Amino acid sequence: MRQLSAGDRFGFGWRPELAAGILAHLDRVDVVELIAEDHFGAGRTALRALRTLSAQLPVLLHGVALGLASTVPVETRRLDRMARLIEAIGPESWSEHLAFTRGGGVEIGHLAAPPRSAASVEGACRNLDAARRITGSLPSVENIATLIDPPASTMGEAAWIDAIIRGSGALLLLDLHNLYANAVNFGQDPRQLLRRLPLDRVGMVHLSGGHWIEGPMGARRLLDDHIHDVPPEVFELLTELGRLAPQPLTIIIERDGHYPGFAHLLAQLDAARAALALGRQAAAA
Amino acid sequence: MSSPALEAFLARLYAEEAALARFLDDPDAVLAASGLDPAERAALGVIDRAGLVMAAHSFAAKRSGRAKPRPAGRVRRALATLFR
Repeated sequence: MRQLSAGDRFGFGWRPELAAGILAHLDRVDVVELIAEDHFGAGRTALRALRTLSAQLPVLLHGVALGLASTVPVETRRLDRMARLIEAIGPESWSEHLAFTRGGGVEIGHLAAPPRSAASVEGACRNLDAARRITGSLPSVENIATLIDPPASTMGEAAWIDAIIRGSGALLLLDLHNLYANAVNFGQDPRQLLRRLPLDRVGMVHLSGGHWIEGPMGARRLLDDHIHDVPPEVFELLTELGRLAPQPLTIIIERDGHYPGFAHLLAQLDAARAALALGRQAAAA
Repeated sequence: MSSPALEAFLARLYAEEAALARFLDDPDAVLAASGLDPAERAALGVIDRAGLVMAAHSFAAKRSGRAKPRPAGRVRRALATLFR
């Protein structure tokens, strides 16, 4: 894999709807992130195109289904598939989520927060070591959003993430909207939650948006949906991160639907640059 | 407190509508028959019920979205067009 370049970088999650806009604005887009599972079945021609893309600008690979934060060992065949894709595309690095996605033969179909406990820390570290051995590189790991306070947890979110990051040696892909959603959904201060995370280990950042949903018993929670703009509160967290974490960061805006014009997304990217720069300036003052 | 059995139990609640309905209707009976250890059963007895329902609905919506034509084909077509 290519070495990480110095300096903060800004880009988008690669989606077919955004491809033309990204390629027309390579002067303003530093990096793109591909969803790995979108390309597991790709033929030689498509893989060649992806390798061509990775020669044009840095490409990051992002897995969404390995389910590494589990007490169950990740299946070797799933890691083999990831390893083959990494070999074919040549991304700069890859990442996965701190989630479990299946259990007892049942596929949940999305990212679920496991019980936050010493056992799931140990399982995640074991699975991350297997991922490193089989793919040849350790993935960064991303904090996930959850609508349910994970049952049977014995650790807080920040302590749990910190234990996995320290135990595995992985970098943290910090999703600031996930952090924000979990904080507001479960009565925490987002800035305090941010400060309790291992910020010295953050290499990448995800930004996205969401909307409030109503549930039973009068419950109201913020759903991370990737189809809304990045809210001001999340840009403020990026500024705070820029103030507290001096290392170079790669910032990715994720958008999975309700696509606005590309100029609007570029404005969001500019807002991210401005927010991070504000934090950098505050740290230097 | 976390185990493969607990993850399997949660996966069923999150992904199987009937299992969720049974649990919400009579959690004590479902937990008594679950085979989970006492600490796990106690933790699930005070589960965030509103969050459980909202999470299960969200997962169902995700699975439903996946049942539509996979985006991979659209991704490949876009790439093929761009790099032809």
